Amino acid sequence: MDTYVILRRSGWRSGEDLQEAAARSTAAGEQMSDDIRWIRSYVLEEPNGVGTVCIYQASSPEAIRAHAAAADLPVDEIVKVVDTVLVRPDPTPATIDN
Amino acid sequence: MTELLERADLLAQLEAARIEGGRLVFVGGEAGVGKTALVREFAARLIGSVLRGSCDNLTTPTPLGPLLDAGVAVDGDPRHVAEALFDALQSTPVLLLEDVHWADQATLDTLRVVGRRIDATGALVVATYRDDEIEGSHPLRVVLGELAASPEVSRLSVPRLSLAAVRGLAEPQGADGEAIHQLTQGNAFYVTEILATEGATLPETIRDAVLARAAKLEPDERLLLDVVAVVPARAELWLLDAVAGEELRNLDACVASGMLHEDGDTVAFRHELARLAVESAVAPHRRRALHTAILRALESSGDLSRLAHHAEEAGDSVAVLEYAAGAAKHAAEAGAHREAAAQYARALRHASRLTAAERVALLAAYGQEAEVTGRYAESIDARLEAIELYQTLGDRLGEGSTMSRLTVPYIRAGWNAEAEKASRAAVDVLEALPPGPELASAYATRAYMRMISRDNADGVTWGEKAVAAAEALGDRDTVAYGLNMIGTSYVMSGEIDRGVDFLLRSLEEARKDGLEVRVASALSMLGSGLGEMYELEQAERYLRECIAFVEAHELTPWYARSWLALVEVYRARWDDGASQARHVLAHPADPISRISSLIALGRVRARRGDPGASDALDEALELAKPGGHLQRLGHVHAARAEAAWLVGDAGRAVKEARTTYPLALEKRHLWFVGELAYWQWKGGALADVPEWIAEPYRLQLAGCAREAAAAWREHGCPYEAARALTEADDESLLLRALAELDRLGARPAAKLLRRAPHARGASVPRGLRLSTRANPGELTARELEVLRLVAAGRRNADVATELVLSPRTVDHHVSAILRKLQVRTRGEAAVAAAELGLLEDR
Repeated sequence: MDTYVILRRSGWRSGEDLQEAAARSTAAGEQMSDDIRWIRSYVLEEPNGVGTVCIYQASSPEAIRAHAAAADLPVDEIVKVVDTVLVRPDPTPATIDN
Repeated sequence: MTELLERADLLAQLEAARIEGGRLVFVGGEAGVGKTALVREFAARLIGSVLRGSCDNLTTPTPLGPLLDAGVAVDGDPRHVAEALFDALQSTPVLLLEDVHWADQATLDTLRVVGRRIDATGALVVATYRDDEIEGSHPLRVVLGELAASPEVSRLSVPRLSLAAVRGLAEPQGADGEAIHQLTQGNAFYVTEILATEGATLPETIRDAVLARAAKLEPDERLLLDVVAVVPARAELWLLDAVAGEELRNLDACVASGMLHEDGDTVAFRHELARLAVESAVAPHRRRALHTAILRALESSGDLSRLAHHAEEAGDSVAVLEYAAGAAKHAAEAGAHREAAAQYARALRHASRLTAAERVALLAAYGQEAEVTGRYAESIDARLEAIELYQTLGDRLGEGSTMSRLTVPYIRAGWNAEAEKASRAAVDVLEALPPGPELASAYATRAYMRMISRDNADGVTWGEKAVAAAEALGDRDTVAYGLNMIGTSYVMSGEIDRGVDFLLRSLEEARKDGLEVRVASALSMLGSGLGEMYELEQAERYLRECIAFVEAHELTPWYARSWLALVEVYRARWDDGASQARHVLAHPADPISRISSLIALGRVRARRGDPGASDALDEALELAKPGGHLQRLGHVHAARAEAAWLVGDAGRAVKEARTTYPLALEKRHLWFVGELAYWQWKGGALADVPEWIAEPYRLQLAGCAREAAAAWREHGCPYEAARALTEADDESLLLRALAELDRLGARPAAKLLRRAPHARGASVPRGLRLSTRANPGELTARELEVLRLVAAGRRNADVATELVLSPRTVDHHVSAILRKLQVRTRGEAAVAAAELGLLEDR
């Protein structure tokens, strides 16, 4: 499995919408756990709502798209991660749903 | 009982599957983890009886052996065997098949059919396998992959025992549960063996544990153990009686010790791991003597696979030859080609004393089975040796027909020049003999060679010869084959309707005569040929028909599926195309199907801006290089040029397109010339282009964006249509292009358009002059380029470097130039070129 960054810019009107999407994402992810693993997401402030930058491990870009289609999530761009530089741990998450 | 710890969940799931019915459950786990114990316990809890069969750890298992065990009538192809199995399951609705990772090909083919049709029955089939032994291209893995999508097929995994479970077993005996768990990692069989030895030190390996346990038996009890150990899988009591004689009295002691167990009138080790451990400790001379005794005792059984195995182990070449060849023939008839090839190979290892005529028959048969199972190098070697023998025997017919048969493995292995030579030589040899089916078939092979090289006119000519010769002989198979080659050649030359007519005639002939392989081939060529000509709607219809047909007839679907992936991508159904391509790539498909799938995947990734486009297209290029055929190389380079363009690298797009442009021009391929010219034009590096290229590209290169878009839409290509509109001048057309690219999720193309809407055309020449009108020698653009450099005194190697071509391609151009200008030397060419005004800058 490779690591990917997925940009979902301005995907949702509100935090509640995003919460629902997160639940769908988890459910869809469980159906294809051999091919995709959600690592973490950063929720972005956008002009008309919220977007996300998601970190996933996946067997292919197609698996990410199949998961997004199953969970009805937007995909703007998928970028492959070739290395990780960890400097400090992530700030404490505001909400932990998964 | 060790095995029953921590298995309640699995037993419950098996029981649920049984009650539901119409299910096939694969139970996986490592060797010794307790799969057999699990299914035995499951069976023991049932009220009625079950059908059972198990696969043996033989290099060449008996075809359909496990189903024979289960009492199923195993006659005919996998569909018939599956029917017979379903009949048997009506009265006894549970079948346990053990160790299917060792299954022969015919059994696996049957399992595949069972998986697809089990929902129509109320039965449960449970198949156990070692999940750590099916890496890579293991045939079982293929079956599991193909059945993965069926809701009726599921997989269970038997886990190792937990520390708590091992402790629970060890502590009543005063053993150190933690240490045992640490050593065995919870492998149930290993744990049991250790607990049975009660030694002071823990045995380091499973083998040590087994041998330590065996060492506790009396010496003459061990002798019986040795006999059972050299019989793979199970030993019949009568066989032991014949071989072990007196020692059989120790059977009860061996069973009581837990090493062996009796099942009806057979005896077996409690586990295959134990048998292998004991077998490995039998001294070589004794092993040989035992195999000899077993061979004599089995002689009346008629089980050729077993006889061949023991004959080889006994070092009895005469017996190997007798049984292995028979076993091979039997396996091939049952469709177990892997086993057939292995048996022929075994026979050939012992063939030193055969006459030339006997040996050549073995070689011919082995060459065929090796080809069918994808071992091309072996197939080639066998046939080359056969040809030599035919020559010494003076058998010209055998020589010629074997030469012709060399063509296919040569091509599959990527040795085109050798294939060409063999195919020509075959015709030469066979034409000197009275006409027969061998010659007709050799003509068809010539047609095939020309067709795959896209030398379409020659493909038609040889195809016609094949059909005429075959019709005179009433050889229906070659008639259908020849018609196919004629039709495919016409399609590839752009005479689509005419080609389709011939292919439909081939299809009709093949259907009439029940020639399944020819039916599949006609449908496959209709689909892929029309696909290559961008007649996508028709192509898709034939490809789907082809896939349905081959799957119903257990033929390989990969080529048709890989073309369906491409057609779906060109019709902008990117998710479908990508998943179709991934499906092919997840199987050990042939290189040609892999190339097409990788192109489909690479194009989708490039068009969506997803990562991994170059991974896919690099692999496609590596696979396409050995064959060197336009249909793959041109396709790969076109896709690579597109991918380069989409990441903004116009220079690389031009280079990629140039690589196979001369070859595409030489073959006059409407679509490859069209696309390869297009990318050079986009990069501002194309002087002119022939008029005959595919219409949508011709319109684009002539600067007619709107008309080009309409032409693309007629071919069913929304992405290409939108791409054409990005080249328009009209603002409203550009906006339409953008909206369409956004709708398709074509991020890179949209980004290019947004980034530089006004800079378009800066580097893009428009309204390109079509044709070679002002070109008396009718040289192509590339030939003119080469000619100018040659006239300037450059050597071919320099020309190659300058134009980023291979030296071979330049050689080729130079000969074409000499021919077209009707001159003999480079100097004369320079003079002629100057006279014709070809050297002026245009």
